[in-house]
Amino acid sequence: MKQDLLNVAVIIKLEPDFSEGNVSYNSDGTLNRAETKNILGPHSAVACNAAFYCKVRYGAHVSVGTMGPPIAESALKQAQILSDAEELNLYSDRMFAGADTLATAEVLKNGVEKMFGGNKSDIVFSGHRASDGETGQTGPQTAWKLGYTFLGNVIDFEIDLDRKAVVAKRMISLQGMDTIIEEIESPLPVFITIDPSYKSNFNTVSQRLTANNFGKEARKHSESSGQYLKVYDGKKLELDPRMVGLPGSPTIVYKVEKIPRAKANRKAEIVDPSNPDNLAQVTEKITEISRG
Amino acid sequence: MKMSGTTVEDSNPKIDEKYRHIYVIIEHFEGHVVPVSLEMLGEARRLMDDFNQKYDLKEKVVAVVLGSNVRDLCEELVTYGADCVIYANHEVLKYPRNDIDTRIIAQIAKDTELIKEISPEYQSAFARPRYMFFAADNTGRHLSSTVLAELESGLASDINKLVISDLEIRHEHKTKGKTIRYEKILEMYRPDFSGFLWTTILCLDNKNPEILREYHPQGCSIIPGAFKPIERDRSRKGKVIEYSPEGYQDSKIKILNRKVVKKTVDYDTSKIIVSFGRGIRENPERNIKMIEELAQTLGAEIGITLPLSKKPYQLSQNFDSKYMIPDRVIGTSGSKVAPRLYVAIGLSGAVQHIAGMKESEVVISINTDKNSPIIDESDIFINGRLEEVVPVLTEQLKKQTNIISMRSN
Repeated sequence: MKQDLLNVAVIIKLEPDFSEGNVSYNSDGTLNRAETKNILGPHSAVACNAAFYCKVRYGAHVSVGTMGPPIAESALKQAQILSDAEELNLYSDRMFAGADTLATAEVLKNGVEKMFGGNKSDIVFSGHRASDGETGQTGPQTAWKLGYTFLGNVIDFEIDLDRKAVVAKRMISLQGMDTIIEEIESPLPVFITIDPSYKSNFNTVSQRLTANNFGKEARKHSESSGQYLKVYDGKKLELDPRMVGLPGSPTIVYKVEKIPRAKANRKAEIVDPSNPDNLAQVTEKITEISRG
Repeated sequence: MKMSGTTVEDSNPKIDEKYRHIYVIIEHFEGHVVPVSLEMLGEARRLMDDFNQKYDLKEKVVAVVLGSNVRDLCEELVTYGADCVIYANHEVLKYPRNDIDTRIIAQIAKDTELIKEISPEYQSAFARPRYMFFAADNTGRHLSSTVLAELESGLASDINKLVISDLEIRHEHKTKGKTIRYEKILEMYRPDFSGFLWTTILCLDNKNPEILREYHPQGCSIIPGAFKPIERDRSRKGKVIEYSPEGYQDSKIKILNRKVVKKTVDYDTSKIIVSFGRGIRENPERNIKMIEELAQTLGAEIGITLPLSKKPYQLSQNFDSKYMIPDRVIGTSGSKVAPRLYVAIGLSGAVQHIAGMKESEVVISINTDKNSPIIDESDIFINGRLEEVVPVLTEQLKKQTNIISMRSN
C-alpha cells in the first residue's frame, strides 16, 4: 500500500427500512420488527457517498465496516455499490449482542484499527445517527476511543493532501438560536459524522467521468462482494469479552412501556364531512381565525 | 487490556460516597444561555431537592460553563437553580469544540481539589459526579458521547423523564443473576422514534464479581423543551468558581469562520401551520400537492411528523427535498410551535408530536380514526379521509377569500 494514499473508513449499520411497503407498524403505532425489512441505513448511505467522493477526488482507498449479525452482510454489499469499497468488514460475534453504544464503540474501534492491513485510516465516516436507535452516540464514542479528532454535523468537506488536513463546513443549530455554518480545519486523522444534507459535488467533467467509471465498477464488484468480505469475531478483533456486548455495557434497558396517553386537553367537536355544509362551517371558522 | 474503574465490594456504602452531585453541562450562544440548559437546571433542582430530603444529604446542582468572558451568565445560572457554577474561562473556549471541551469537562468531573470548594464535607471520598446532564442537541449529543467515552461510563440519549429511585435488580451480567439492591439510580426515560414506546435506561455498576466495575457518572442527554426551568429567583445564593484547566492542551480544530444562515423554515412567525403524517400514504405525491394548495390558500407554513422525515415514500426530488426533511418535523425531536391555527392532517398524534404543537391556539384535525390520540388535542375533529376533505376546504376557502377581497374592493 502506497504511503501517500488516503485511507478512508466507513462505519455503517443495517437498519429497518422505513419506506412504505417495507415498513410494518403494529396497530398501536409501534414498529413491527419481524415484518419490517432491513436495509443499509439512509444516514450510512450518506457516509458511503462521502467516502466515494474521496475515492473520485483523491484516489482514496475505501474500507467499510459494520457490527451486526451475519445478515448485515447485505448492508455491506449495498455500501459497496455506493462507495466502491475495496474492503468489506463484518464484525460478528454472539458476544457482541445487546451492546450499548460504549460497548459497540469498543468493537468498532478495534475493527477500524484492523482495516487496510493494519495501516491507519486517515478519515473515518459514519452516519448522523441510526434511524432505529437514534442515539447518535456510537460515532463520537468510536472516534474518542480511536483518539481521532471528532467533527460532527459536517455538510461539506475538502481534503488538503499536501498538508494532510481537512477543511469542513459544519452546521450548528441550537434550540431557539440562529443556525450557524462553521468552517473549520483540522489535521488528519479525523472522524466525521456526515449530516443528512451532504451532497457530493463533482464539479469538473473529468470528475464526473471518474465518478461514472467507479460507479460502474462498484456495481460489478458488488456482484462478487463475498470476495471483498472479511468476517471478524471477537477473538480476531482481540477484544476483551468483558468490554463488549452486555457485559461491557454500562447501561441496560430496564423496561419498555407504552407511553401513557396524555389527558385530553381539548374537547373536540366532531365534524362529519359527508355533508358539505358541515365543512362550510369549519371554513368559516378558519377564515375567522386567520383574519383575527 | 485495560479495565478501569476500581474494584467494588457488594453493597459497600463507601462506594456510594465516591459519587456526589448532579453536574449540568451548560450551553450558551453569543452571551445567552440556550433554553435547554435552564430546563436541565430546573429538573436537576427538583430532583436534587427530593433527593436530599429522601436521603438526608446535601448534594448539589453544579453547573459547568466553558466560555470566554461570560461571568454574568454564570451568575444568572444561580438564579435558575444552580448551587455552584464551575466556570472555565479562556479565550480558546469561546466557541464549542469537541476535543478540547471533552478533555476539560472530563478533567472537571474528576477534579478532587475542586470539590473542596463545592462541598468540603464530601471531599475525602469524592471521585466523580453521581449524575451528569447534557443537552440532546447537535452539540451536546456529541459532547455527551465523547465525555462519557472518556469517563468510561454509561449514557442515555434524548431523555424526557427522570426519576431517582432504589431498585432491586436481577441481571445476568450486572448481578450474575442475583437480586441486588441498587440505590440512588437515575431512571432515564427515552421515547422511541415512533413516539409510542418509552424505554427506561439505567446505568449500573457491575456487581458481578467476574466483571466488577463501577459506572459513574450516570449520564444522559435531555430533549430541549422536555422540562420546565424553575421560576427565576434573583435572591438565590450560589458560588461561581473560576477554573483553570491544568496541563492545558489546545484544540486540533481551528475555526476559520462562522456564518449565520437563515432557517429553511420559520415557524416562529407563522400564524397558521398545516402538518401532515403517514395518512398521506395512499398517494403521497398527489396528497402533498393537495395539502400544499390548502397551505398556500391559508398562507400557512407546512410541517411534518417525525416518521416522514425518514423518507418513507418515493417522491419526486423536488417534493422530497422540500418537505421530507428534519427541519420540518414538529415535535420533541423537531420544532415546538404555537401558531394561532394548527391543522393536523392524517397524523395520529404520537406523544412526541403533541409535545410540539399543543400550545397552538386552535387545532383542527382531519383523520379517519376517531380513536387517534390527536382527537384529545383537537378543537375540531373532521372525521373523514383527507383526500375528500382537503380539496373541499381549499375550494371553500378560496371562495371565501374571493368574497372578502371583493368586499374590500
